[in-house]
Amino acid sequence: MMSHSSLHAHGRDVFGLCCLPGECVLQRAVLVRKKLSAKEGGGWLSGTLFCTHFRVAFVPQDSQKPDDNADPVLLGDHDVALASIDKVVAVGPSRTKLVTPTCSLKFTPEELVLYCRDLRVLCFLFDRLTPDTQALEITYTIAKTYQPLKPGTILSFQNAALGSIEMKQFLSNRWHDPNMNWFECSMGWEQELERTGASGWRVSSVNDRFEMSTSLPRFSVVPQRVLDTELKKTFAHFNEGRIPRWCWRHPHGSDLLRMASFQNNIYHEKDDIRNLESVLFGGQQLCVIVDLGEEMPSPADIQLAHTRLRTLCLGDISSSVSVPDDKWLSTLESTRWLDYTRCCLRKAAEVACLLGGGHMTVVLQEPEDRDMNCVVCGLVQVMCDPHCRTVPGFQGLVQKEWITAGHKFLSRINYHRESDKEEAPVFLLFLDCVWQLWAQYPTRFQLTEDYLLALHDSVHLPLFSSFLANSQRERCRRSQHLPQSYTPVNGLRELPKGAPEEPVDPPFPPVWDWALQYSSLRRSRFTQPVSQPACPPPVLNGNLNTNQDHGWPNDGLPGSVFLLSRGTFSHPSNLLPWRSGNSGSYWKSHRRAPSSESLSGLERLIRACSLSEPSENPSTLHDPYEPLLPLLLGPCVRVWRACYLRGALHAQAFSHPASSCSQHPLDQLAWEVQQLREKVAQASHRHPENQTKRQEPLRLESNLNQNANNGTFLFSSSSRTSQQQPSSRGAAHSSVIPKAQRTASDPPRPVQRNNGKHTFLFGHQQEPQSGLRYIPSPSAKLHKRPGNSY
Amino acid sequence: MLSLGSVGAKSTKPSFVSYVTPEEIKLEKEPPKKEIHPDLLPGEVEFCSANPILKYTQDDLSQRGIFGTLFCTNFRITFISDEISQEETTKTFQNKLYGENDIPLMCVDHIYGVYDEKRKLITGGLVKNKYPSKMIIHCKDLRVFQFCLTYTKEEDAKRIFHGIVHHCLEEKSLKCVFAFSYTWTPSPEMQRKQETILFDSPEDWTQEMKRTKANCRLVTENENFDLSQRLPKYFVIPSALGDLFSYQGKGFPIWCWSHHSGCALFKASLPSVTQEDGDIQKHVDIMINAVAHNYLYSAKTEDLSESLPTIQDIQQSYNKFKQFFLIENSTDFWLSDMKWFSSLESSGWLDIIRQCLQKAVEVVECLEKENTNVLITEEEGTDLCCVISSLVQIMLDPYYRTLMGFQSLVQKEWVAGCHAFLDRCNHLHQKDKECHSPVFLLFLECVWQLVQQHSPAFQFSETYLTVLSDSVHVPVFSTFLFNSPHHRESVMKAESPLAQSSQLSCPTVWDWSVQFDSKAQNFFFNPLYSEKVKNERAVRKPHKLKHQRQLSLPSTAFKTPFKKGFFKDETESLKKMLRVKRLSRWMGSPDSTAAISREFYESWQQRPLDYHGLLLPCLDGPAVRVWMQRYLRWIPEVHILGGGSMAVITKIMELLSQVQDLKRVLEQRDSSQAAKLDHRPYIQHRLLSFGSSGRLSSSFPFSYSRNLSFKPNIPTGLMQCLMVTDSLASQEDEASSFVSLV
Repeated sequence: MMSHSSLHAHGRDVFGLCCLPGECVLQRAVLVRKKLSAKEGGGWLSGTLFCTHFRVAFVPQDSQKPDDNADPVLLGDHDVALASIDKVVAVGPSRTKLVTPTCSLKFTPEELVLYCRDLRVLCFLFDRLTPDTQALEITYTIAKTYQPLKPGTILSFQNAALGSIEMKQFLSNRWHDPNMNWFECSMGWEQELERTGASGWRVSSVNDRFEMSTSLPRFSVVPQRVLDTELKKTFAHFNEGRIPRWCWRHPHGSDLLRMASFQNNIYHEKDDIRNLESVLFGGQQLCVIVDLGEEMPSPADIQLAHTRLRTLCLGDISSSVSVPDDKWLSTLESTRWLDYTRCCLRKAAEVACLLGGGHMTVVLQEPEDRDMNCVVCGLVQVMCDPHCRTVPGFQGLVQKEWITAGHKFLSRINYHRESDKEEAPVFLLFLDCVWQLWAQYPTRFQLTEDYLLALHDSVHLPLFSSFLANSQRERCRRSQHLPQSYTPVNGLRELPKGAPEEPVDPPFPPVWDWALQYSSLRRSRFTQPVSQPACPPPVLNGNLNTNQDHGWPNDGLPGSVFLLSRGTFSHPSNLLPWRSGNSGSYWKSHRRAPSSESLSGLERLIRACSLSEPSENPSTLHDPYEPLLPLLLGPCVRVWRACYLRGALHAQAFSHPASSCSQHPLDQLAWEVQQLREKVAQASHRHPENQTKRQEPLRLESNLNQNANNGTFLFSSSSRTSQQQPSSRGAAHSSVIPKAQRTASDPPRPVQRNNGKHTFLFGHQQEPQSGLRYIPSPSAKLHKRPGNSY
Repeated sequence: MLSLGSVGAKSTKPSFVSYVTPEEIKLEKEPPKKEIHPDLLPGEVEFCSANPILKYTQDDLSQRGIFGTLFCTNFRITFISDEISQEETTKTFQNKLYGENDIPLMCVDHIYGVYDEKRKLITGGLVKNKYPSKMIIHCKDLRVFQFCLTYTKEEDAKRIFHGIVHHCLEEKSLKCVFAFSYTWTPSPEMQRKQETILFDSPEDWTQEMKRTKANCRLVTENENFDLSQRLPKYFVIPSALGDLFSYQGKGFPIWCWSHHSGCALFKASLPSVTQEDGDIQKHVDIMINAVAHNYLYSAKTEDLSESLPTIQDIQQSYNKFKQFFLIENSTDFWLSDMKWFSSLESSGWLDIIRQCLQKAVEVVECLEKENTNVLITEEEGTDLCCVISSLVQIMLDPYYRTLMGFQSLVQKEWVAGCHAFLDRCNHLHQKDKECHSPVFLLFLECVWQLVQQHSPAFQFSETYLTVLSDSVHVPVFSTFLFNSPHHRESVMKAESPLAQSSQLSCPTVWDWSVQFDSKAQNFFFNPLYSEKVKNERAVRKPHKLKHQRQLSLPSTAFKTPFKKGFFKDETESLKKMLRVKRLSRWMGSPDSTAAISREFYESWQQRPLDYHGLLLPCLDGPAVRVWMQRYLRWIPEVHILGGGSMAVITKIMELLSQVQDLKRVLEQRDSSQAAKLDHRPYIQHRLLSFGSSGRLSSSFPFSYSRNLSFKPNIPTGLMQCLMVTDSLASQEDEASSFVSLV
């Protein structure tokens, strides 16, 4: 697909490093051994260590010659980008030393330990036969290159590697995953409205040129009744112009919105008030504002907790002060990281329960609307919407609530080391929270821990457009300026001042381009081996609130507003500034029995919360929209071992290393099932006299494909599956459907009789072969990958 | 009918909060009721009963509960609800002997009485005429029951209270234990061959020696316990040891296990020698010499009582630890929540586990790396010796990681090995607190840590361990009832004097079908157990390092283990060396011990992990964890419905059963080419029916409808706001007052 296969682009070092276009090797050391983590099998791997402009690469001795035609992967399995290195430590025969760009080593390092920002620790051991100069030089080189000498230069070495024409071409022609919702155009938002079945909302492009708000995306979803002209007047009433915007509709009919805090010192025109109320209430009568400003951890808190957690988990050779084993737990507690995780999850669970009550708008409010709102809004959707637990759905969610919504990734991650005050791993906190959910309900996610881990690691790689800007506006400006060779010094705050002569930035790829980073083997681990609900049948019951809607008069009788803060509902007087004393005239004119009104509102809230109880009705047990409410007690919130503790060299026995099989046990089982099925197929071919037996493998296959295509729950009750199979929307996979239809139309009776006892045993009446229906197959998984479609 | 509780499967809507006081309800109730009686086991006798008793539900402070009848029998305390719940039997994981409202008498840990809002610990002697309004029973399996006695007639209440206190707390004789009145008839299903080796016959020991290629001597002289009553009937000693009767009254090294290299592990009950007592010293020397003769004249000894906590420490620490889980209402639990980790740590229980595992790793290192014989000693030789020797064997020998192997190990080291179960578990409620200690539980905890860290290496699951730890307190099995084989034999003989042939038949605990049906027993097996592969695939050879260098972690100077003598001449110096070593602890100072074993651990870690080879536990801070399944199973707040590891395991079991299905299909298809059946534990198909009947809870009994809390899962003040109507009203007032101001 690309013309990047010139010899230069694939210049192979004699030792087998497959360079990226424009990348060059700075230093090399031979006969180096890399310590493998238990997950990789443990032990040592010998090979050659390289340091390039861009990464520290390790090529194992006996590694296969990579296919020259394959797309280059930015980082091999054993590589680490220079930008994600945090610390370089050299271990000598008697001492260890932290290597900085300026210091000189008085000993030949025998061992090189790289501490990464993503909490990995790589350990390389130099052999006796490694020339001393090589060992020394590569240590120096890494120490010098990884650390940007001054803030801002970080991009320059990146550009050195990625600035070549070939690389630019290659990157700009990357494939844009059409399977996920990018929320970059109005179509994306419309799709989302359609998917969630929201009505009464429209996509407004009033901020198309970022004139109304610089940090908001170009498109936002607002109530249908509010015209763009009216909408424009509301921006001034909110901090940074971040007006209430629709995010998601709960299938029970309530809407989730987010906004920044109100501008208080502003006069409220009567018309403004009406518009503000409309924007806030959507089509509903009840509005709950969830205050995320107070009880949630501040970015500074998060940063402190993360630093502490890091110190605890990594341990440090250079400081050699480690926590004694018997004090580990209390030290963990004192980092407060788990407390913050809990806090976010708790808030999100509250909101999720509230939304379940239906017929209200829940508005998340945070002074800035750019940190905790992203966390909580994202978590609520992961909890309530099964679509967000799939890989494309989750990516769409991050696009929607983080990337386009204007989370300040660039400042928060602090790639350029120039915003130390603002640095805070808010997004990592979110990932941790998602992991907690995943750890408690592993079977209800399609994505896996590996996926979360990959995303976690990518955050530390300053390569992706997703994370290299503070707002959508910055992202757009960069890509707009790209074709012109124009230096956007003034326009782009984040561009390095040190390199204004750099003509253009390469077009950074989005983080979702996983093929850039990970081999297909690793990517295949991003989804559960046992096929999971791809996406649930869309439940379009958002319009069911007919009973409630008629009560909403057009002249905008105010609904009731409550504040959810510190776990209680309240009705403070200054909740909506325009309803408080100054603008009381409006309130008076529409006066009705206020106490009874708020009473009914509260009753509804209470009902909403009581709905959160686990229902005993077995039919609702499989409600895909039943929120995953996390358990938040001390023993239930855990440390993400696979992430935080993988670096600690002494702690590598945690992940269950697969020694005999390099696969996940589930993978292996699924594989085994597949093998057996093939055997069955062979066996039946060997006895062709029996017609019925020949058909069974076919049936299996068709069942599998159906499972992969329509998004049904593999493990849910079989009735749903059987009902939805005819209406499967896998029309694209035309090669599959006929088979399925054939099985449905001429059911081979003998087989069914043959399997009659299974029916009895499994207790599924609808489908005799339901036991076999569950079988996942690698081929089924392949169908889901858009890249492999026919 | 008014229903108050939520125990019945679908009796109530959990959101229903009754503001009616129990008195009112009682009045409304239909007075005449048919007599309810518990389903008695054969041989069970009902002592007393009382009705109506209110059993409080556990999960909230409000005084809600279910009315029912409380019985006390010679086996259990049982509570039967007045509301007949029809679908009680749908539980997945039900114990056939006792249900969720039954407490075996042996299982009672403490009883508290609430007198005028004050909680008092009831001890056996204290009971006078007064009876408390509320009785709180803490069980050894960490359940907590609260019964309200105020609604019943005074004499009934008095009788049941005194009855329960009498039968649970008073010191009693072994004869009163239910096992002796239980008339158990083995069902034909149980008649099949007993697979667990019980180590009660010479053949078992010979077999075991053959299996491990041990070069020791089987002793049969103790058949009638002439040598010692604290020794097993049969045991194995180093072949160098001569006439045992000359050492009568002193301990000898008893063989535990032989490493494939030839060195072996021995345990002995030897007093710790602090003062130079010549006699004892001489004896000890002879014993060490005998051990050293076993293989290459090498031996190390370790006095466990010096380096490990005493059994009293263990008891104290466990008492502290279990308090976190004995929760009377959920509010207590919320309170403990914020300081969860540090309070766990302060109990020291996890640290004791770590120390035991650490010691076991040290012993493993001697056997595996240095190939020396090891003798572990202790005053009694039956407590920590059992823990360490069993752990060592589990780490070294994959056979003991299978279910049958593990059961045999418990038989060998604990039951036949004279662990004083009766005293340690305090089955008889003796006053003497000195000898109580949860040593066996400590062992199970250590095994659990291993299972947790290397689950594919174990054939059994943590559920199995949990069930086993509970079974210790079920007075039906003979396994855990006695202090030693001699004790067992003497009691058994006394019990059935008439016919020697028909000895009192108690089932052993290994007859799991007594307690669980086969469906539940499926959960004992680890579906991910990696079976030994016959055709050994080419395992990557451990990378030979050109020069062995110590890895990253800075540790103090590495000490080379001193070489063992290979010639007979060195025996004398060896003895001298040994004595010095024994007195100066294991080897060197404690610091270097840790460092050396750390190095051993790391060199092990560098090799690819073989689940059928040596297994070492990781002992770092984050690695030693709380056995959630055992300790948190009765706390509904931490149950994940439809989630947790159970969900994964169930899915894996489903997959496994599909594999077996397919294999069977293959077999049927192609009978000539006999496909080998999967040797994994056979997972029954019915397991699949969980998927349709409801999701499993992550917690131990795996039922869905149990423990439905009426609270939403969000632990916030939101709840308080919703439940406390007063505050709601006041908020309303605020709101309206504000409005009216405007």
